[in-house]
Order: sequence, then structure tokens, then C-alpha cells
Amino acid sequence: MIRFPSPAWFDAVAAVFNADDRYRGAGGGQSFCRFGVIVGEDIVVVTMDGHECTGADAVDRAGLADVDFYLEMPRSQWLAMLQDIAANGHATLNHTLNTIDLDLDEGLSKSVHGDQYREDLFFRYNQTLQFLFDASARVHTDFGA
Amino acid sequence: MNTPAGSPSAPVEFKLDWLSQQGEWGTQATAGKQGLTLADVAIGSYGEPPEFSDNMTGRPRGAAPRKAAYRIGGYSIRTRSEIWLDNASFLYEEALQRQWSSATDVPWHTLEPLPDDIETAQCNLATFLTEVEFVAGDVPARWIAQTTPDYFEPRNCLLAQVMDEARHMDVFRKRALANGGGLTQATGGTAGVVGSIDLARDFTEMSSRLHISGEGAVLTIFRMGELMAYNDAEKAIYRLCAQDEARHVAFGVMHMRYMSEAAPERRDEIDSYLDEAERQILAGSQNPAGQATPSSDALAVLLGGGRDQYDEGMKKLQAIRRRQIQEYVKRVRSAGFGERFDNGRSRIQDLMASTVA
Amino acid sequence: MPEQFPPKYGTVARSNQWGTRVKPNKHGLRLGDINVGVYGEIPDRWDDQTRNPRGAIAKKGVPPLGYAIRDKADLWADSAADLYEEAIQRRFASATDVPWDTIKPLPDVLERAICQVLTELCQYANCDIEVISQWQHQMAYGYHEVKQFLATATFDATRMYESFRKRALCNGGGLGLEGPGEINRMILESRGGWSETVTYLLLMRGSFMQTMLRYLERYAQNDAERSIYRFSLEAKARQITYGLDHLRYSIAHDDDRRTVMQTLFFIGDRVWARELGDHVLREALSIVFAGGLENAPTTGNAIYNRMMRDFMNEYLGICEWLGVKRDLATLPGRMSQYVTGAAG
Repeated sequence: MIRFPSPAWFDAVAAVFNADDRYRGAGGGQSFCRFGVIVGEDIVVVTMDGHECTGADAVDRAGLADVDFYLEMPRSQWLAMLQDIAANGHATLNHTLNTIDLDLDEGLSKSVHGDQYREDLFFRYNQTLQFLFDASARVHTDFGA
Repeated sequence: MNTPAGSPSAPVEFKLDWLSQQGEWGTQATAGKQGLTLADVAIGSYGEPPEFSDNMTGRPRGAAPRKAAYRIGGYSIRTRSEIWLDNASFLYEEALQRQWSSATDVPWHTLEPLPDDIETAQCNLATFLTEVEFVAGDVPARWIAQTTPDYFEPRNCLLAQVMDEARHMDVFRKRALANGGGLTQATGGTAGVVGSIDLARDFTEMSSRLHISGEGAVLTIFRMGELMAYNDAEKAIYRLCAQDEARHVAFGVMHMRYMSEAAPERRDEIDSYLDEAERQILAGSQNPAGQATPSSDALAVLLGGGRDQYDEGMKKLQAIRRRQIQEYVKRVRSAGFGERFDNGRSRIQDLMASTVA
Repeated sequence: MPEQFPPKYGTVARSNQWGTRVKPNKHGLRLGDINVGVYGEIPDRWDDQTRNPRGAIAKKGVPPLGYAIRDKADLWADSAADLYEEAIQRRFASATDVPWDTIKPLPDVLERAICQVLTELCQYANCDIEVISQWQHQMAYGYHEVKQFLATATFDATRMYESFRKRALCNGGGLGLEGPGEINRMILESRGGWSETVTYLLLMRGSFMQTMLRYLERYAQNDAERSIYRFSLEAKARQITYGLDHLRYSIAHDDDRRTVMQTLFFIGDRVWARELGDHVLREALSIVFAGGLENAPTTGNAIYNRMMRDFMNEYLGICEWLGVKRDLATLPGRMSQYVTGAAG
């Protein structure tokens, strides 16, 4: 069991994602971005390089300054999304990234820099990001207390 | 009659004069981690699109010109700033990687009968989107044929867009006919406000209307579609379409950014295109307070979860449209035209503020 | 709570054919599969000058957009929907799908010859892009299958263009001398109609390019080139299939079409013959086929002649299949030499 949202958890998800060729087609493909994931006090920056997720590093808030976008929502909602993925093998209707982004008043995807062109990478790579989180279905996640 | 070049027993004489009439030689592009991309081969003179193109024969950029070659002519776009964007080859390679098939990549088997009002709304929306995507398929095609191959990188992006739009046309038609509904009524909207994209006489004018304004709006509709999808098939449809659309928007933003830096003398002109785009946003279906379109009706039903939740759906629609406007503003800022929101030229933010949440 | 936002457009279904439920089969849900009932009624003429999707209820009072091609006989091919789906399935990204690491340095003259051929192929692909793009937006939406297929055709031509360019620039070479361009101009200037353009673009030049690609694949120096030529062959074959299917349909529905095509061939053959007189492509291909300069004038040239005979057989065979009579006596010498067997 690997704790979410530790860098180790993202590494485990990345290992599943990187090894599965299916994520490279069907609208998936190469991605080039760095995005943050904020879960309460925990902040991880994830690097996507080509077909692979190549890194996950714990940072502080200042570390978000130069990421392309970051995803932030309450811990309970992160858990709900991941538990839905774990139960179903992929995000179901109410738990896809875009759905959550539109459902939340403040949105899920944001940035420090405010450059919409970079923020739009969330949309341009949306299928790949969805595949990445969907890959967590095959990781034993410790959702914590 | 010339004797054809002969047989092994009768060798012909070769001139071979062309061996010394080729382009820059010794080019050794190497593949990186992402394979051999167009950016990798943009080396030396092959990577230098001219500020002004005198290529009237359609030769590939960097090829040696032939004095006697026939002119093709007909290229109205021969100035780099008219069409260029710095990451065109990157966007093109991205498009190549992210192709998908509506026939096999959408889980059609997950469609199940929906309540009549929901199915009607989905079909109304699908009919509207089929019609809208027709515009985005036709218009770039016209400009492609007018662009010198010296600027093949942005041209490739437009060609990929035409491909994307064909796929969108196809997937929405399929959705309308796959679940007990059908195509409903055309809106005619693509000959009016949206149809003004057809009327553009300049590429940047067209791009500001199509990519910044039009595609930005459609991107929001696709994102809403993913939000309000009732099954995995619809989720996939809207998510994949939104991904494509975001790429088209990125083209527009980056072209406009290039223009703002490379052709500052055209800033006022481009501002007037943006003035028009914003008038259309506020007058048309993108206006958060706007209700008067068939697509708004359909979206409100879908967002609300039924005809009897129409009001609730319309409130959600307005909220999402406010975000859409915010994103538009940020895109225009990213493109280098943010001054218009600070100097009072654009009234879009004032009008936004007046719409009550 | 009072209704704040009364729907203006109604959410009652208004449709020419409601209750349509097309299910996917083992091939998925394809474009042709949804041509059921009114949605599959493809009229001989589509007078709707708007972007009304076929089968939808038209909205009155919409200003026309001026689609010039509105007769089915001027663009239709029964295979268009299937070809569209086939093209979509054939995903090819040259950056990652071509084994670029299989390319090794070649002797200078051979590399120059390969690059010369690729340069001319780039121009053919460019011509495809420009020609199809300038016609595609003029086609009415009653025949969306054709428009959608042509979108794949231009996309394929784009992928060919950049694949050829990449190969020319990755092995110590560069681009060559541009082609003479007369045929490109002839194709681009065939403004009379789309069918006329198809005759030149797909039947005439398309079959030539296809033959050349077959030979290039056969004599490729490495797997990267084979991969590029093979993809290009597939794409070209789809385009030619559309072209032939369309011309067959057109001939069957337009009494004049055959005669027009005969005239087009008479004119086009002369232009073709002039371009065949240009030695550059012939010499470059001969070097490629021979694997170098030494045997190019003999072996390489013989293979070139064989390629040309294959092309002429294909070209004339297609004409015969379409029922377009060709008088071999009127063929220019540079073409007829490959038909009569006079070449070695």
C-alpha cells in the first residue's frame, strides 16, 4: 500500500501508465508539461515527458510558480475520485477531471502564472491526464485517515 | 521519337548536372527522445522560413529553385507574420499523436436509452455541433490552398484541424443516430455570427474569429458536454473533441502572440477584430446571460438533468459561461493583447460583472 | 419558484426521422453504418446552400454560402465513407512510427539521388494538399462522406510531405532541385470541375506516384524508407480508389463525362510527355534502383523503364476499365515507347 499523495504513489501510478501501450492511442499521445497536485498540505509536482510520466517530486507552495497548471481540491474529493477509479477501473461519470473542474466553483485546474495558454495544456492533454489517474486503479493505495 | 533509355546492353548517358544544383547539403538531423520531429529537421536554411516568400512554384522550403520551373502562383499568404506561430510544428506533431477514431475509440455500447427530454437535448446539441464543425472544416481548407509551402508548419496545423473537424462532424452525427433519436433542426447559426468566419479576408482576421472566439466557445461546449454526459460514450466523445479543440485554440493564441511581436503595426487592426469577436460573444450564444439559442436550451436541459430542471441547468450554464469569458480574457492576455482589458477598450469584463451569479 | 428562463426553442423533438438507433458492430460504429432511412438518402442534387446536415430539418431563411459542387455525379463515390474510416484507422506519426535509427550513411551520389526523388515527391504531395484543399470547401454538405474522406486525403498528403522532408534531412543530405512543375500546374489549373481534377490528380499522376512508390519501397535502403513508402502507398491507394470509384460513378451518370475525359487525356498526355523529357527524375530514380551510380545507366535505367511500363499499363488499364477509349496512336512517343515494348 502506498500513501496518496506521496511521490512514491505517483511513481507507482507512472509505472503502470508508462508500461501500458493502450494509453498511447485512442486520443492519448505524447505530453510535455509539469503539473502540480495539491491535497491539503501535500503538494507534488508531476512531470510528463513524451509518452511517459517521468517524475514526481514533493514541493512547497513556491514550487508551483513555474508549473503549467495545478490541480487542487479538498482531500475528500480527491479520495472520492480515486476510490471511484479503484472500484471501476477508470473514472466514472461524475469523477472525470473535466467534470470535477466544471463542478467545482473555483475549478480544479489553476495556475500561479495566469497564462491561459499554459493552463490550456490541461485541456490539450486531458485524455492523457485522465489515463494517468485511471492507471491508479492498478495501484494499491493507502488513502490515509 | 526519342528512344527510351536503353537496356543493360545499351547504357544511356546521364547528364547528372542536378547533382550540383541541390539545396544546402550535409544536413544531419537526429531523432530525439520523441522521435524525429519537424523541429528536429529545422536545421540551417531548412529551418529559416523567410519573412517574405517569393516561392511561386510550390517547391519545398530549402529546395534548389529551377529557373525554368512553372509558376503555380495563387498564394495570397506570402508574408511570415500573416500566418506564423513559433510552435506550429510542435502542435502539428501533437495532433498526429492524438488522432482517434469515432468508430472504435468511443464505447458506443455504453449508450442506453435516455429519457425523451434528455435524448432530445443531446440530439439538438449534436445537430448544432455537426453544423458548427462544418465551418471549422471548410474555412481552414480555403486558407491552406492560399499559403505558400514556405510556411508549411502552420499549414500543417490547419490541415490537422481540417482532419479533426471531419472527425467531429462524424462523431456528432453518429451520436444523434445511435440512441433512438435523430438529427433535429439546423440552427442556421453558421451563416450568421459564426458564419462571419467565412467572410474574413485576412488570415489573422479569420483566426481571431475562428480560433480565439469560435473555437474557444466550442471548447467550452465540449467541456460542458463531458460534464453532463450520461454514459461513457458521451464522456469520451466530448473529452476527445475538447482535446482537439484546445489545440486549435492554442494555434490561435500563439499566432496572435507572434503577430503582436512581429507586426506591431497591425495591433490596432487586430484589436478591432477582437472588438468584433467580443460583440459577438455578448450578443450571441456565448453570453452568460444569453438564453436565446437552441444550443442554450439543450445545454440547460442536459446540465439540469431534465426539462423539469431547466432553471437549474440554465444557472449552471451561466456560471460555466462566465468561466468561459474569463478564459477568453486570459487567452487574449496570453496572446499579448491584454492591454485592451486595462485601458477600457474592451467592455467584456464590465458586462461580465453585471451578470448576477 | 417561478420559471426564470422560459425555453425559447423548445425541447420537443422535431426531426425528420426520430427513433433511429444504429448499434455498433464488430467494426465499431462507422460512418456508412448510420446511413439509414432519411439519413442515408443521398440525392442526385443537393440544392441546400447552407450547412444543414443531411437529414436534419432545414432552417428557412438562412443566407446561402455558395457551394459550387452540388451534383452527386460531380463528386460521389460509394466507397467514400469506408475509405474515410479506413484512413482514420491507419494512424501514422512519422516521428515515432518510422525506425529512423535504421538509416545509415550512404554513398554521396546515392544519397543525393534519394534526396532528389524525395524532393519531387514532396512537391507531388504539396500539389495534392493544395488541389484538394481548394476544392473541398466548395462541396455541398449533402455529400459529407466525400468531404470527410478528402479531409483524410489532405492529412495523408501532409504526413507524406513531412515524412519525405524528414528523410531528406536526416542522413547528411538535403533537399534537391525542384521539379519542372508543369504537371503540378496542370493539375492545379484544372478548374473546370472536381471530376476533371480527379482525372489528372488521382488517375494520371496518382497512378504514376503509386507505381513509383512501389518501386521505391522495393529498392529502399533501410527499414525507415520502407516504412515511409509503405505508408505513402497505402494512403495513395485509398486516394486512387476514391478517384476511380468517383469517375466510374460520374461516367455512369453523366453522358458527357467519358468524352470530356478523353479530351483531358489528350491534353494531359502531352504535358506529361514534356515532363517525362526532364532527365533529372529519371536519372535519380535509376541511381536509386541501381543502388549507386555505377550501374545506374544500365541496370538502374532498365528498372526505371520497367517502372514506366508498369505505370503505362496501369494507366491505360484504368482507362479501359472506365470505358474511356484511348487511341494508342495518339499517345506521345515518350509515353508510347513504354507501351509498345520498344524500351529495353
